[in-house]
Amino acid sequence: MQNITRIYALSKRNIILRYKNSLIGFFWGFFKPLLYLLIFIVIFKHNSGIPNYILFVTSGLILWFFFSNVTGQSVGSIVGSVGLLKSLNIPSYFFPLSETIGELFNLLLTLLIFFIIMFWFGMDYNIRLLLIFPCILLFAVFALGLNLFLSSVNVFFRDISIIWNTIQPALFFMTPIGYAESSIDPKYKFFINCNPIYYFIKLGRSILYDPVAPSLQQWGNCLIICIGMYAIGHFVFSRLKNQFISAI
Amino acid sequence: MNSDIIIKLENVHVSFWQNNVGVYSLKDLITQRKSPFKSKTIINDISFEVKRGESLGIVGRNGSGKSTLLRTIAGIIKPKAGIVTVNGTFAPILAIGAGLEQELTGYENITLLLSLYGIPRKNTNAVANIREFSELSDEALRMPVKQYSSGMVARLAFSISLANDSDILIIDEVLAVGDQGFQIKCVEKIRQIKNQGKTILFVSHFPDGVRDICDNAILLEQGEITHRGLAADICEQYKMLF
Ligand SMILES: Nc1ncnc2c1ncn2[C@@H]1O[C@H](COP(=O)(O)OP(=O)(O)OP(=O)(O)O)[C@@H](O)[C@H]1O
Ligand SMILES: [Mg+2]
Repeated sequence: MQNITRIYALSKRNIILRYKNSLIGFFWGFFKPLLYLLIFIVIFKHNSGIPNYILFVTSGLILWFFFSNVTGQSVGSIVGSVGLLKSLNIPSYFFPLSETIGELFNLLLTLLIFFIIMFWFGMDYNIRLLLIFPCILLFAVFALGLNLFLSSVNVFFRDISIIWNTIQPALFFMTPIGYAESSIDPKYKFFINCNPIYYFIKLGRSILYDPVAPSLQQWGNCLIICIGMYAIGHFVFSRLKNQFISAI
Repeated sequence: MNSDIIIKLENVHVSFWQNNVGVYSLKDLITQRKSPFKSKTIINDISFEVKRGESLGIVGRNGSGKSTLLRTIAGIIKPKAGIVTVNGTFAPILAIGAGLEQELTGYENITLLLSLYGIPRKNTNAVANIREFSELSDEALRMPVKQYSSGMVARLAFSISLANDSDILIIDEVLAVGDQGFQIKCVEKIRQIKNQGKTILFVSHFPDGVRDICDNAILLEQGEITHRGLAADICEQYKMLF
């Protein structure tokens, strides 16, 4: 119980800190996806052959930006908490965890607004949409696993955050968000299949956009990736955590 | 364990990974082909006991391992070998405001640290006590901590660490930057806490303060205890180091 209060307090701190000095606060979170949406409309829409293109892109973008924000924030979460780590006896995984929870909160708000706006863009309101919550849960645990990995390694090698910021755009374009999966040359399909984010975006999009529910196989893939990533992150983090204080 | 004893250290060793010279990034690791870290012993085979209600002074040169020892006792650093047994609760170690969040205001810091320390947020009494003891104005507490002077930071940090009613008070150099008025007030408060029967671990570079507050003391040199005994005697030893 005490731990829940602590994680809550830290998550709240993250949300306060993120919007502290920005005038439009929370709404800033919408501008980035909006900008990307506009770019995609200009570049891809006319010959994409995708029906209801705006809904198609937006459902992918929301999930992508959750992922991109949460990893970008968490990578420095341990290094950024030196003061607290050195003065209180709190488990260090609280820091990446509370970053993930703070961003999850953001995603839920975004999703709410998305559900309202997509009324004008042909969203099919259906009880099936609720499946997005288990999907988000899987994606969030996956992201948490990655965050545990990134934030702990970053303590020892500060260039991890730079490397991660460089890889991110490449991952973004390797994920079919603005274009249809079918438009990829089958020769290169392999690369897309290697991209773990692809499976989560695809699952989310099946729920929000496709007329048929996602297959069990899709859920299974995501579950396996999610557990695998969490296991790796947890392993690396617990190996390194005892030396955090000496390295930061 | 005897219930009189609140803290017990048995053959405690702490070592840190230190960066091998010049290896800070993956690029260095790949190009220099040497192991990125080496282990360095910071606390070397320390054993001692603290009785409930005792106040123990810890003195020593800069870098002798005092802060590390305090953090090990508080459970913030895990020892590499040896056993640390503690039979009580701690206040946060806010050595010169290290635990304060620069971007948050004084009030936000208070709320954050209180909830991290398990004091319910509804406890407005705690907030009032902190404000009163720190003598910071309402206006100052609404400012981000990064705009505070170092004395103001110390006032806030020390007041927060007093706020939770813990069994063990750990004081690491907090008095160094406060003005005279605040120093006197702190010493007064520490005495009062001591009289309530609380245990105090006191790190300071001022032998007079140590003699004043502590019953016993230990002198650390390079992570080892070289002298232990009555605070007054140890303070003499400490002065002889220089
Ligand atoms: N993050 C760190 N990584 C590696 N070594 C460290 C780290 N922090 C401290 N040390 C080393 O540990 C030793 C003890 O440091 P510590 O901070 O405990 O000293 P101290 O006695 O509190 O000194 P001071 O009087 O200056 O506060 C020093 O030799 C220091 O170089
Ligand atoms: Mg120190």
